[in-house]
Formats: sequence, structure tokens, C-alpha cells
Amino acid sequence: MTAASGIAGFGTTSIAALRSVRSSAWMRPQMVFGYVIVAFWLVLVVSVQWIAPFDPLASVGQRLSPPSAAHWFGTDALGRDVLSRALYGARYSLPIALVSIVASVLVGSVLGAVAGYVGGLVDAIIMRIADITMSFPAILLAMAVAAALGPGLDNAGVAIIIVWWPIYARLMRGQVLSIKEREHVESAVAIGASRSRILFRHIIPHASTPTLVNATMDLGQIVLLVASLSFLGLGALPPTPEWGAMITEGAKNFYQPWIAAAPGLAIVSIVLAINFIGDGLRDALDVKARR
Amino acid sequence: MNPAPQRTRRRWRAVATATVAVALALTGCAGGVPAATSGDRPLVIARAMDLTTLDPQRGYCDTCQILYTALYERLVTIDPADTSTVLPGLAESWEANADNTEFTFHLDTDAVFSDGSPVEAADVKWSFERLVNLQGSASFLLAGLTGIETPDAETVVVSFENPNSAFLAIVAAPYLGIVNSEVAEENGASAAADAATTDDAEGWFLANSAGSGPYTLTDYTSGESVELAANEEYWGDEPEFTSVEMKEVTDSSSQLQQLQQGDVDIAMQISPDALAQLEGNEAIATEIVDSFNYTYIALLPAAPGGEPLQDVRVREAIRMAVDYDGLVDTLVAGYGKLQGSPIPNGFEGSEEVALPSYDLDGAKALLEEAGYADGFTLSATYPKLVAYGVDLDLQMQAIQQDLAEIGVTLELNPTDFSQWASTMGGEGTPVTAVYFAPDHTDSSQYIQYFGNIDQGGLVNPWTGSVSQEQTDLLAQALSQSGDERVATYQALAESMAADAFVLPMVNPQLILAYASDISGVAYSPCCNLEIGQLGLSG
Repeated sequence: MTAASGIAGFGTTSIAALRSVRSSAWMRPQMVFGYVIVAFWLVLVVSVQWIAPFDPLASVGQRLSPPSAAHWFGTDALGRDVLSRALYGARYSLPIALVSIVASVLVGSVLGAVAGYVGGLVDAIIMRIADITMSFPAILLAMAVAAALGPGLDNAGVAIIIVWWPIYARLMRGQVLSIKEREHVESAVAIGASRSRILFRHIIPHASTPTLVNATMDLGQIVLLVASLSFLGLGALPPTPEWGAMITEGAKNFYQPWIAAAPGLAIVSIVLAINFIGDGLRDALDVKARR
Repeated sequence: MNPAPQRTRRRWRAVATATVAVALALTGCAGGVPAATSGDRPLVIARAMDLTTLDPQRGYCDTCQILYTALYERLVTIDPADTSTVLPGLAESWEANADNTEFTFHLDTDAVFSDGSPVEAADVKWSFERLVNLQGSASFLLAGLTGIETPDAETVVVSFENPNSAFLAIVAAPYLGIVNSEVAEENGASAAADAATTDDAEGWFLANSAGSGPYTLTDYTSGESVELAANEEYWGDEPEFTSVEMKEVTDSSSQLQQLQQGDVDIAMQISPDALAQLEGNEAIATEIVDSFNYTYIALLPAAPGGEPLQDVRVREAIRMAVDYDGLVDTLVAGYGKLQGSPIPNGFEGSEEVALPSYDLDGAKALLEEAGYADGFTLSATYPKLVAYGVDLDLQMQAIQQDLAEIGVTLELNPTDFSQWASTMGGEGTPVTAVYFAPDHTDSSQYIQYFGNIDQGGLVNPWTGSVSQEQTDLLAQALSQSGDERVATYQALAESMAADAFVLPMVNPQLILAYASDISGVAYSPCCNLEIGQLGLSG
């Protein structure tokens, strides 16, 4: 296996071997699989209107008809094409997941970095809020927040940011605490750089790798969380073809399993792909860190 | 006459039939066949229960109707075959004065409560007064009550401020069941004017009953089951099943599965789409019967964003834009009917009202005439639930598609039932969708709830006006009887249909699905399912 040989190769110290480890670490088979699937869904997000066979909101066939040549994944209770709806689902789940993760990373990292760098009371306040937030199971807190804000994909996104930022706050704080003792930071202090310059130019760039890896891994979980909230009726509003909401419709039609099959497969494929990439990324970047 | 051996014999026969049926269907499941020699077979009913209380004067729900009917009895009952015929219950006879303001009931002297004490006039007075004074959801049924007299232990005289020809139908509603006042008072119940604050018997009623019905309550676990046992002192025909369990099974597919496995005898909410799964299964009987339930959308102009709905032409256009046949197909797989006005098919006044019809061009023309040729946007908040097989979410998505054809954008906002109720109690929503099942067999309830009359239930707070015509017609109907009253109700139905504030969508048929050896499963207009009538066929 490439991965195994890559790690074995790392044992030797020649530069060439190291380079081959790095390039192959980014191209392990499971990662390539992940790239292909993610690329497929990203292409759909942009161009689904030319790819999906039918309008996702229109009744285009006999209701509840099983998979056929015309409707590969059958039709739902209103006669809408399940495949088209599942493909359009990418337009809702992926952007909302991406925006939520980026916002969580930004909010969490800035707060965590400030906490770690400033310390004292500021640190205590920020990290206790983070601890309290993290003491709730993520899905429960997200449900509570989404229920309070009212259903809707935007509100689901807000709920996810509220639940997810403490993870990055903790991560960044730990990194900042260790990096701020390094010599290059001390020398920046010595030449009189401002505190914000030191934090944003000399500390955060060195602390971002673990955050990046974590964010990639979490993206899959957030896709799942968006779907879960919609499944519970706290996310997408009808008739939005969101995956979680579609699975709810499938659950109502117990004897027409195809209605839930397409969105289910969509979620499985994207979450699996993102996890593969995240896993590979962690291994690959670990190598770099150890170097 | 000795009923006991006869019953045993019948049970034996039933066992034999069940065994044969099971063998025939090749669904051999030993657990489904009752033990042949020992013990009584309990009746198990699967239902998604909407229970919050078992206090007969506090509750107001479909499951309440079924349980109250089994535990308590009313002064009169309604003939299921002909809803205009009133039959004796606890009262063996009754009469009304000429203008329907005073009703006299003569109690049956044989009637006894489950503790053996006789049902007396004082119990009737106490029960009715408690219903009024608790100010619960069903208290409105006795609105306008001015007094209850009990000249002797067997006679009750109920008087009203205004003529109330609907009262005999109302008296048959399960919420007017008679409670053993002595037992209830010993356990904290009160019928006094301040009962709403002083009565603390609600908890006691969760574990006990104090009625004269064919069953008594033995156990209730919220979200799980209600258990009933036959009332040993019952003064009427003894029920066949000595114990009954109503089991909480929330979704249609689980109900179907449990019925197929023989875990339950009756499944109360099988969806029409699942019906095909039961075809050819000889161990299970299915029947499709007409019901008086329906789903509707309400157009409420006074709610924020509802301005376009102030024009009756706009409301009419919305009515014409809905593809009703498609809706019946989509929502209940064709097992449903259309309905012309808020008075449902089968109730007085409904017969000659025109059914709504789909006319896309007509709808477009009306909108153009009203100045909305380019369409507009409406938001719709509605409870997210399945009512009588109709998934309101699906109904609204279908209507959303239909309205898009005439340029009306419907924004859907499904919520929990409690959230919906607080929206309706607060700022409101221009469009909503709900369901309605009758509380009793008189048409007056539909005008009281859907009519544009002062103090009207659903519609009137949102119309910005009161229809004097409907107000007068309702008073007129309540002072009439017979064909005259039917004609007045029809005028009311037509007036409400012309207003187009409430557009009935589907009148779903009811699916009765039960083990084929059970007899007596029927839809009762007042009480849903009468457990006391159930038996084993042999």
C-alpha cells in the first residue's frame, strides 16, 4: 500500500524520500476517492440546474412510483422526482455547512487566541462560556437554539455556529499558549512589536494547521447536523429539497423506501468523502509537523 | 338466563376461527392465538393518543371521546345509523318545551355507577355544573345555561337563556358524561362556581374513574397505555371483553406492523397508502367508512400580510385554483370526498351546497379583476401533523404548487401544535391549515367555530367584520326544528361558502382495520369508537 510504503520511506532521512512521502500522502487512494466525491458534489452545487433531470419542486410523475428508467430513485408523495431533489439538496446542505464551519472557525479561533494570549480574567470568562456550551450534547443544544430561533436553514446555520465555536476556541487557545513561549515570539516582543501584531502575525499563522485539519474533519459532521436538524423539522422549510427533510418524508412513507434512499446515499457519500480527506490530511500534515 | 356459559362457548368458537384464519393466511404466529383454556383474551387497541388528562370534565380530544364513552354514560345517545335519532341513555325519556329553552330528562331507575350506587339527578346537575365551572376546553358546550333543577332524584330540568334546539345532540357528546359526584367529591373534585381554582381531582382521575359506563379505568401510563376493566356492576348489556388496553403506537406503519403480527386487535390510524399491504390478509378485516372529519385552509385577512385576502374575489380565486381531485388522490390515495362548506357532508344543511371545483382560468380572471394579475405572497403557519390520514405538510405543499399557477406565492411555515396555537392566539397568520372533527351531531358547532359571527371561534377575530346575516340565522336555527332548521342551516352553509374564509380541502374516509374475529368495530359520529360495543365474532 502506498500509505504503508510512504511511512516506511519516512524512516530514511534523504530529502528525496521525504518529498515522495509528502506527495503520496496527499494522494492516498482513500483521499483520491474523497476528492472525486467532493468534486462531484461541488460541481452539482454550481451546475445542478443543467444536470438534474427534473424540476425538484414540480410534480412530474405518478405519486409514490418506484424507481424506473424515467425516475431512477422513484417519486415522492407529491410525484416529485426523488433523484432531482437529492441532487438539488447539495445546493442547501453544502453551502450552509461550509459557511457554518468557516464562521465557527473564525469566531472560535479569534476568541481562543485572545483568551490564550491575554490570559487572566478574559481567558477565564471566554473559556468558561466555551466549557458551558460544550457541556451540552451538540445536537441537543443545536435543537434548542434552532427551536428558539424558529425553523429555517439560516437559523440552523446560526445554531450550528453557536454549538461549534468552542471546539476551535479550545484548540486555538492551546496552540497559542505553547507558541507564545517560542523564541520568535519573544524576539518580536523584544523589538517592540504591538500585541495585536504579535498575535495575528507571529502566533496565529503557526497555530492554524491543527485548526484546518479539524475543520475539514468537522465539515462532515456539520453536514450531518444540518440534515439532523432538518430531519427534526428545525431546518429547511417545505418544499426545500434538503436531505434531512427528504428523509423525514421518506420515514412517513415507510413502504416506499426509495424516497429516503437517495438523500440517505447523498449524505453517506459526502460525509464519508470528507472524513477520508480529513483523515488523510491529518496524517499528511502530521508528517510536516514532525519534521 | 345464564350468560356466562354462552360467553365461554362463543370464545371457544372464536379461538377456532382465529386458528383457522391464521393457518389459512400462513402467518403462523402462536402468540396471536389466545390461550385456549385459561384467562380472558384482552382487547388491544393501537392508537396515537392525544391525551393530556382523563378528567371527563377537563379533557377535549379525540382519544378523550373514546375513553369517556367507555367509562361514563350520557343522558341520551345518538343512533349511529341515523344521526338525527336520539336514543335513551341514562335518561329513559325526555321532553323539551315549545321554544326549546327547557329540557326535562327522566332518569332510568336501573342505572348504577361502578360502585353500585344509583345514578341520581344530583349527579347530573353536579357533572354539568362542574363542566361549566372548570372553564375547560369543552365548557363552551353548555354556553347559555341558566339553571339546572332537580325536582326529585329521577328528574333533571335544564334551562337555557335562548332557544337551543341543538341541546339533545350536545347532551350525547362524551364530554357530558355523568360522574358519580359523591366519589369524585371525596377525591377532591368540585362543581362549585370557583371549581376552576379549587378542584384538584385531575390527578385522581388519571388512575380512577367514577362513571356508569361498561368499563372502569385501571391504569394509565402517559405515552404508553390506558388499561380498562369491565365494570362488574354495569347495568346494561355486559361487554364481551373483560379487559381492554389502548396502546400508544404513534405512526401508521408501526400500527400496521403490530396488527399484522397479531400484537394488537385494532389499529386506529392506518394510512391509506398502507392499505395495499393488508390486501388478501384474511386474519385482518378492513373497512372504509365515511367520516365527518375534514381538513381545511382558512384565509384570515386581518392577520399581518393578509391584506390581499380582504377582497372576496381573491379568496374565491384561491378556492378555484386548488386541484381538489389531485388533492384527494395525493393526500388520502383517493379515499376521501370533497366538501362545499364548513358544514361537513352528512350534517344538516350540507346536502345541496355546491362542491368546490378546479377552474384555473376562472381563478386567473378573478385575480386580474381584483387587481392582482401579477400575484402576491402569503405566508402560511400551520401545525405539523397528520390528521385523519392527511399529512398537513403534504396538503400545503400541494396547495403551494397549485397557487403558484395563478401567481400566488405561498410561504410555508410548519410549526408544533402548541406554537401554532400561540400564533393563532397572538398576531395570527394570513393562511392556516387545520382539521376539525365534530363534538356532537348538530350543525350549530360549525357556525359557532367557522361562521363570521360575534365571538366566533376561528374566523371572526380575523375578518374585521361581523356578518349580521349569519348571527341572525344561527339564532333562528337554534329556535327551529325539523325541515325548517335544515333549511336555515343550508342558508348558513351557503353564506359561509360565499364568504370563502374557510375552504374545506378533504373529507377523508376512515379506515377501520382490525383482527377479523373482532366484531362491532364502527365509527360513531359522537364518540369515535365505542369500546363497549366490541366483541368476538364467532
